[in-house]
Amino acid sequence: MAEAYIFDAVRTPRGVGKDKGGLHTVRPVDLLGVALKALQRRNGFDTAEVEDMAMGCVTQTGEQGTCIARFAGLEAGYHYKAPAYTVNRFCASGLQAVNLAAAQVAAGWADLVVAGGVESMSRVKMGSDVGAMFDAATQLRIGSVPQGISADLLATLRGISRDDVDRFALQSQQRAVAAMERGSFDRSVVPVRDESGLPILEKDEYPRPDSSLEGLSGLKASFEMMGVQFGLDAMTRKVYPEVDRINHVHTAGNSSGIVDGAAALLLGSKEKGEALGLKPRARVVSAVSTGDEPLLMLTGPLPATRLALDKAGMQLSDVDLFEVNEAFAAVTLTYLQEFDLSDDRVNVNGGSIALGHPLGATGAVLLNTLLDVLEEQDKSVGLVTLCIGGGMGTATIIERV
Amino acid sequence: MTTEIKTTDNGAVQLAFDADTGIATLTMAMEGGHNKINESFGVGLEQAIGWALAQEGLKGIILASAHRDWCVGADIDMLYGERDAAALYERVRRLQLGYRQLETCGVPVVAALTGSALGGGYELALSCHRRIALDDARIQLGLPEVSLGVIPGAGGCLRLPRLIGVQPAMEIIAAGQMGLKRAPKAAAMGMVDELCDGPEALRAAAEKWIADNPSARQPWDEKGFSFPPPAPGTEAARDLMTGVCAFINKRTAGAYLAPQVAARAVYEGGMINIDRALEVEARLFVNLAVGDQCKDMIRTLWYHKNAADKHEGLPHAEEQGIQKVGILGAGMMGAALGWVCARSGYDVVLKDIKQEQVDAARAHCEKLTAKGAKHLDDAGRAELLGRINVTLELEDLRGCDLIIEAVFEDIGLKHRVTKEIEPLLAEDAIWASNTSALPITDLAQASAHPERFIGLHFFSPVEKMPLLEIITGEETDERTLGRCLAFTRQIKKTPIVVGDSYAFYTSRVFSSYLMEAVQLLAEGHEPALIEWAARAAGMVVGPLQVFDEVTLSLVRHAMEAGKEYVGDKPDYAPGAELLCKLVDEHERHGKAAGKGFYDYEGGKRRGFWPGLGDLTPEVPAETGNELLGQRLLMMQCCEAVRCVEEGVIKRPRDAEVGGIFGIGFAPNTGGPLSYLDRMGIPEAVELLSTYADKYGPRYTPPKLLVDMAEKGETFFDKV
Repeated sequence: MAEAYIFDAVRTPRGVGKDKGGLHTVRPVDLLGVALKALQRRNGFDTAEVEDMAMGCVTQTGEQGTCIARFAGLEAGYHYKAPAYTVNRFCASGLQAVNLAAAQVAAGWADLVVAGGVESMSRVKMGSDVGAMFDAATQLRIGSVPQGISADLLATLRGISRDDVDRFALQSQQRAVAAMERGSFDRSVVPVRDESGLPILEKDEYPRPDSSLEGLSGLKASFEMMGVQFGLDAMTRKVYPEVDRINHVHTAGNSSGIVDGAAALLLGSKEKGEALGLKPRARVVSAVSTGDEPLLMLTGPLPATRLALDKAGMQLSDVDLFEVNEAFAAVTLTYLQEFDLSDDRVNVNGGSIALGHPLGATGAVLLNTLLDVLEEQDKSVGLVTLCIGGGMGTATIIERV
Repeated sequence: MTTEIKTTDNGAVQLAFDADTGIATLTMAMEGGHNKINESFGVGLEQAIGWALAQEGLKGIILASAHRDWCVGADIDMLYGERDAAALYERVRRLQLGYRQLETCGVPVVAALTGSALGGGYELALSCHRRIALDDARIQLGLPEVSLGVIPGAGGCLRLPRLIGVQPAMEIIAAGQMGLKRAPKAAAMGMVDELCDGPEALRAAAEKWIADNPSARQPWDEKGFSFPPPAPGTEAARDLMTGVCAFINKRTAGAYLAPQVAARAVYEGGMINIDRALEVEARLFVNLAVGDQCKDMIRTLWYHKNAADKHEGLPHAEEQGIQKVGILGAGMMGAALGWVCARSGYDVVLKDIKQEQVDAARAHCEKLTAKGAKHLDDAGRAELLGRINVTLELEDLRGCDLIIEAVFEDIGLKHRVTKEIEPLLAEDAIWASNTSALPITDLAQASAHPERFIGLHFFSPVEKMPLLEIITGEETDERTLGRCLAFTRQIKKTPIVVGDSYAFYTSRVFSSYLMEAVQLLAEGHEPALIEWAARAAGMVVGPLQVFDEVTLSLVRHAMEAGKEYVGDKPDYAPGAELLCKLVDEHERHGKAAGKGFYDYEGGKRRGFWPGLGDLTPEVPAETGNELLGQRLLMMQCCEAVRCVEEGVIKRPRDAEVGGIFGIGFAPNTGGPLSYLDRMGIPEAVELLSTYADKYGPRYTPPKLLVDMAEKGETFFDKV
């Protein structure tokens, strides 16, 4: 089997996902275009040679409808011969796109592919595509509660306290701010500019350097009201009858940020890289997805990680650094707890709590940051994993070459 | 009772506050008789709003003008000179925020439109809560920006669609200057809210509206606001936007940036709230405004056009001395010309030698009156028609002050009528020929007064085409030219004044366009590609289409006639041969005959004549949109430079104004000389040399251009 190499990775800064956010004025198709243009500019490949483009995007409606991957490619000036498709595996869409692209290369069916993702959460609201998840029949048969309820349920089941999640959130903020100050993101973050070259947003704007434990602990639990008063907590009893009372620990401060952003990676075969004079930054070792119980929803990274290691023939100890999406603090804390990992191996440059979680892009963004930090610390093997709506997990292991 | 009257520090706005009504009246009164949007305007407006908001008991604001116009929009000087995107962005944002402050100031603001509000001026009116105008058709309202290569940048692309809907707003914005509406029409379209009969009634209406609407907010600032349907981003708007884009593409063939960017601003600006949408609009505006196309368009369509209209650098006659105008030849052109003169107050004698022409001319004048004089009542129209004497009688020409001869293009015939009619004319009368090619000096040989003999070359349809090409013969005196310029001003035409040569300026350049097109055809290029390449390069009409309209036989005749003056042009042979074959062997005379390059049914184009393919060779290896567009433009540019070189063009501006307004040369380029400047003169010389090698010596770069390249000169100053 051929091996899939990552030649380069870029991402836009993440803008606050509200109408006041720095990227709110940028159409999603252009936002993804920024990443695609930068990828081409940095690597100088002929876009006509790109054999496929896979782009993650979750809320594929409105401005993110009609196969945004294809139009982002064309708008970014990619040759029309480079086909593109849009992938939705909820929060892991961006990573799924990379995994599919890597699989195409590994299968020998493509030699040069682009993968990434985009989500403008300020312009296309999360859930505005509605869908089966919010349908009464599915709700009643399968059951699904807002993710925040699941996150609080997870914290309750795992005995994670409000203090734990707030401390974790503070650490995420501190790490992100320190990384930005060190310039750790500078290699991968490309500024968003207008057509005259004037800056729109040049750096991640979501982190709050002034975060404090006092501030975080003073925030209102976001899901308490809907959980308790609207009876949503009780919906979980169908699967978790033993949980009498959910401890609502998650707040806006210790959950992932709603942001706008995009990312893109260039992958391909070794031979193609050599032919184009591209130096690989890493190879994809294994890439998997799996499912877990959908009401709890957020534990997918655990089985996904085991599966990815299994497929790679690796032990947990073989992995130097981890990126575990901070959808909610409890997700990453559960991960640390389950695998008994020291936290200096996980999300060492902060995560989605501090930097934001642009749904369809995040998987590709995290792979970006993982590559950056492996290089920064001169480590070899890294693993990215994300929890996924509907109770799934996706994981990818890469190794620097 | 007005308690306080003062002005802003810079005098731009007069401030008055009536403590009884609680109304602050801010009267724009900028120096120079026009309220123009510039630095001083912005500062004045900001200060004026601040002052009004500080008044105790403020209930509302009336925004008025001390001048005839309300506000005429951006100061073009400021716009033209600016290449720094960051600086311009900052200025535009500041203006936008000033307007935004006005509409969110918490009290009702009324625009008292006692005069025209254009561009940024109308955008200011849109930022008021109520627009009340005088019921006066002289007042114009709208957003002409795209005509100068930019888009409305002070909220016009956002507020107008929110006010009247995407489609009507888009039609107005994309049409630019042509989209301006007179007050009554603007009211019918919702561009103004109310019309009043006089300034007092307007004032009363404004005060009443303020009293009735104490907490006025803009609709788009209300919670739950939605566009007049269909709103951008909705399923219903899908077809509309496709239609809008198709319309813009059809009109501009992609050559003009501004209408396309306007569509983006309207659509994108409709997807997010107005505060953020203003940023989007500002960025799109700035990107166009600092760009080449905008600069080239402003230079020609604003500066050069204005200079031409003001007759800058041209002689001025103390007295026009023209009241009675005689027109010889009452064909379509003569009739329309007579009507245009009559409309401007001249007594007109429209003379022909055939009764059916006389009848047709009379009917044509009646048609033009019905269509083009809607502002007149029945008596006014009758009076207008009464000023036109359509006649067969030579004697009716007696006492004419100006003759415009529009008979068949035959020098013998023209000489004959001059000799015959000149003695009948008023003492000091001017004889003008409307010839499109024959040298004025030659025609003047038949005249007893060659110093009062001149060329006035009109363009068809005369009632619509804005240009008049004035040709001075060797002996034409300055006074005659001055009097003709006064006449030009009275009939509201834009003059260019050129020297004498066969076909002068416009016809020379125009025929180079037509002949190059038929040459391309003879080389085997696809006719459809020739047409689209020309349009995509910015030409207003494709060459084969316009060739049909001019008629092939006419061009063929002119080609023969021209040989006497310019000799044979051997490298045109294949094109000329094809033209002769089309006319002589296949009777493809043109649109009027229903058979030209195109087939026609009932006067409508029905595709290319299939027989064309049999007369032309295989498609050459080198072809394509860009090449053909470039060749069609460069051929004309080359001819324009020769006209400069030969002194036919005396002022470079005339080449640009004449090219664009006379023959539809690509307005997006600013004109043939601007096009060369933009390309770079050395680059143009190089390209022409390559073309000369490949396609024939007609492309040989004129010496003037080669010299300019060596000296590093350009036709116009760079910005």
